Amino acid sequence: MSQVLHDIEKKIIESLQNKSQQTPEQLCESAELSIDQIRRGIEWLRLKEFAEVKESSKVEISLGSNGIDAFQNGLPERKLMDLIKNEPKTFDEIRNVLSGAGFNAAIANAKKNGWIKIDKTESGSTVSIKEKSIETPEEKLISFIGEKSIPEEQIENKLALKFLLQRPNYIIQNIEKLKTISLTDKASKIDSTISDSGAIDVEADVPAVFAARTHPLKDTIDEIREIFVKLGFSEISGTLTQSSFWNFDALFTPQDHPARELQDTFYLENLKSEKPATPKQIKQVSKAHSENWKYKWQLSESQRMVLRTHTTCVTIKYLAEKKPDEARVFSLGRVFRNEKVSYKHLVEFNQIEGIVIGDNTTLRDLMGIQKEFYKQLGLTKIKFWPTFFPYTEPSLQTMVYNEKLGKWVELFGMGIFRPEVTRPLGITKPVLAWGGGIERIAMLKYDLNDVREFYNNNLNWLRTV
Amino acid sequence: MPVVELNLNRIKKLISGNVTKKRIVDTLPFLGLDIESQVNDQIRIEYSPNRPDYSTDFGIALGLQGLLGIKKGIQKTNIKKQGNYEIKVDQSVSKIRPFVTGIIAKNGIIDDETIKQLMNMQEDLHFGIGRKRKKSSIGLHDLDKISFPLTYTTSTRSHSFIPLNTESENTIDQILSETEVGRDYGWILGDSKNVPIIVDAEGKTISFPPIINASVTTVTTKTTNLLVEVTSLDKDAAEDMLSVVVAILQIAGFDIVQLTVSGKKNGTPKLNSRTIQYSPKLTEQTIGLSLNQSTTISSLKKCRLDATQKGRNIQCVIPRYRFDIFGSMDIVEEIALGYGIDNIEPKLSPSQTLGEKSSMTKKLDRISKTVIGFGFTEALNSSLTSKKILFDLTNRDSSEMLSVLDSKSQEHTILRDSILPGLLENLSKNIHEPYPQKLFETGTVFSKSKPISETINLAGIIAHKESNYSETKSILQAILRTGFQIDTKTITSEDNVSMFANGRYADVFVGKKLIGNIGEFNSDVLDNFKIRTSITGFEIKLSGLIFD
Repeated sequence: MSQVLHDIEKKIIESLQNKSQQTPEQLCESAELSIDQIRRGIEWLRLKEFAEVKESSKVEISLGSNGIDAFQNGLPERKLMDLIKNEPKTFDEIRNVLSGAGFNAAIANAKKNGWIKIDKTESGSTVSIKEKSIETPEEKLISFIGEKSIPEEQIENKLALKFLLQRPNYIIQNIEKLKTISLTDKASKIDSTISDSGAIDVEADVPAVFAARTHPLKDTIDEIREIFVKLGFSEISGTLTQSSFWNFDALFTPQDHPARELQDTFYLENLKSEKPATPKQIKQVSKAHSENWKYKWQLSESQRMVLRTHTTCVTIKYLAEKKPDEARVFSLGRVFRNEKVSYKHLVEFNQIEGIVIGDNTTLRDLMGIQKEFYKQLGLTKIKFWPTFFPYTEPSLQTMVYNEKLGKWVELFGMGIFRPEVTRPLGITKPVLAWGGGIERIAMLKYDLNDVREFYNNNLNWLRTV
Repeated sequence: MPVVELNLNRIKKLISGNVTKKRIVDTLPFLGLDIESQVNDQIRIEYSPNRPDYSTDFGIALGLQGLLGIKKGIQKTNIKKQGNYEIKVDQSVSKIRPFVTGIIAKNGIIDDETIKQLMNMQEDLHFGIGRKRKKSSIGLHDLDKISFPLTYTTSTRSHSFIPLNTESENTIDQILSETEVGRDYGWILGDSKNVPIIVDAEGKTISFPPIINASVTTVTTKTTNLLVEVTSLDKDAAEDMLSVVVAILQIAGFDIVQLTVSGKKNGTPKLNSRTIQYSPKLTEQTIGLSLNQSTTISSLKKCRLDATQKGRNIQCVIPRYRFDIFGSMDIVEEIALGYGIDNIEPKLSPSQTLGEKSSMTKKLDRISKTVIGFGFTEALNSSLTSKKILFDLTNRDSSEMLSVLDSKSQEHTILRDSILPGLLENLSKNIHEPYPQKLFETGTVFSKSKPISETINLAGIIAHKESNYSETKSILQAILRTGFQIDTKTITSEDNVSMFANGRYADVFVGKKLIGNIGEFNSDVLDNFKIRTSITGFEIKLSGLIFD
């Protein structure tokens, strides 16, 4: 370690080399620095093991209000003795002079000292001198302290001090913490006169601090959101809890479909939506199911509340309400699946979904948007495979080549909404829809193998990733 | 998604064309099949539940033949009428499981792999279109062990026969209570006194649908002739399932022979194909390709459909087992698949609209930036969490909690009504990290309403030795003042907020509106989370404050 010393450090060392043990206040004078500079300098020197700080405490004794009174006018028992110096006095007469607590203290202490005797007469108790009163140790102590403040160790009669401490407001104890600074061996040899004015030890370790920041997954979400906006999509939002009607029925998923079972979907206990949709929407959707899937559609099943399993319920609701002729919108947010949590599955994750309605709504356009989207994310090796979703036809999925795994991985799904979905809701134009999970993309980005990492909130990771 | 196992050598033989294994593997995804794993010649494939014909390697071979151009067009279902095979339906089944259908398959060769494939098919049909056997279920039998005519009827629960894979007679009750299939599927029959059975002319029970077959008709590698029976709650659903089996058995080399079905509402299955008139305009409108008639027809044939030109339109013939095809849009997809997804060129049309983030997102961004400016790091927690974190460890009242049904994960059973408990949990997992620690989160919280209400909240939490109410209040007030010009007041709370220390928490108000609370967490709560420093936190509703 290079021993570069700050001017402050040098002055302190120099001063301590002259006089080995000093308090910070003493150093202020001897080193001609402010108390703040001294404190800082001591802390630096201590970390460099050039200085040692010893802490001790010092007790100062002075008189309290009753003590001052006793110093000026005598203790209550002395006042009593002065009062009965010539003749005995009754309690009442004494009370006239010594009021309140003073009276009780005077009688009690004078009696304890063996100075007085008390006789009971018809006119009450009278007090008379029993013995000559000499100066007590307490009185000596009070005169010794006087109006000064005296270090406790200078008081010889500790017993007298103890008695006075027991009497209220006679003694004030002032405890002061003291620091004494001294140099270590290696510092006593330093020649502080060598000039390296203003320099500090620039190689020394400093404490680690961390910048506050957004969550890494949020960064990916924002990046994806920006790409959607860049591609001309506007954001819409919807609730996380949805009726089965919008999550499933409106999307042509039959009511006995395995995906609707408790083991895949979270149903909310004892909650149903009284009016999940308009009577016309309910009637038309019901008809599409009965005619195509050939079963008896139940309203009650569509009223059950679920945690949405995809964001498609938000987009289809938007289309059914607004019936736009032309639009590019997207929705982004949490979706839920009743799955066992593992390194590749979460119960709750983020999904984004975009739709295009209007002109240029062919499968080729849809593929073109995908290609551009992935290009923006820096993924250029992609291809399309057919797949199946109950609510789109045709349906495709994007495959992206993962160099690290050396294989194609599935990312977003896409398709054109089935007429069985759009027609019952009064949507007349073709609708392109596409979307998928965001965590999967974020995992590629942050090189994670375990998706749970995003929700562990491990501060070390959040602060340093 | 259902799974099927393929052996590449066997597939190669089944498609009987001169193609390499690599070509086969490369083509599989273009049938809509996902390769889950491959070890040498053994491939595990995931297929979509709408294509039950892909539940065996036979069905997949049929599809591959088309796309590879080895055999195109429809596989005709040719049901011969020979012999005297009949099943009569007794009235008594009408209230339990009213429909039966079936077919005879003759002169096939069944090896071990074929048995495995047919078992897999049966499983998947039961699970998928059979809706776990409730809607329809299937039985395969050795035809030569059966004397006709059969009767589909009912019996009491004390009726007994020797079920599959068993040596001795069992009563229906025993089967339902003592076997695994009985326990898994017995619920389908409810508590009806009688149950459906199929008996042959000699009175032998051959099947107890939808639970189990009899041992006597077990299919083995010696079997050459089969009886297939499907029982169902719905006649169409029964024939759907039967049509898939017939298509598969035909590819497997069996001759298909009619089984006459007679009885009220029941009938002999015809399994006829149907036609759909297709207007080629739709191809251009939907895919964005203008294909001539002959390319369209050839593409459809590659998907094992038939197609002929009819004026400007194309007449498509759909085999019975393709009941996933509803209408013209499904034909478009078949054309795209037959043409080859790889051959379709993506096209980027310029957007006619300008994109924009929602105003909620913009405002949340602004809030996040400000909060980060105060040194808070962003955390993310599940909104579906546990009673333990939300209520037990924080001593909060759980009477209004919102639960989900049958969660597979104990940590995810309750919808959060507050963000702070999750942040406390985060701090408790980071006690070894350097302090001060400051976390924040914005997200949805839930409360009971009609039926449920969702709001977006902001919560922040500060942990260090000297964390205190005043510091946090300063920050909270500054967050809303910066950028939103909202002034907040804190007012002594009339409620008892049991996670905060007595006398060290308050309600947060904007004007007369209560928006949240703020306070120092009490030592009980900190102990529960095993945290050994001071923590102060706040949580406010952003919905209704900076956006709707």
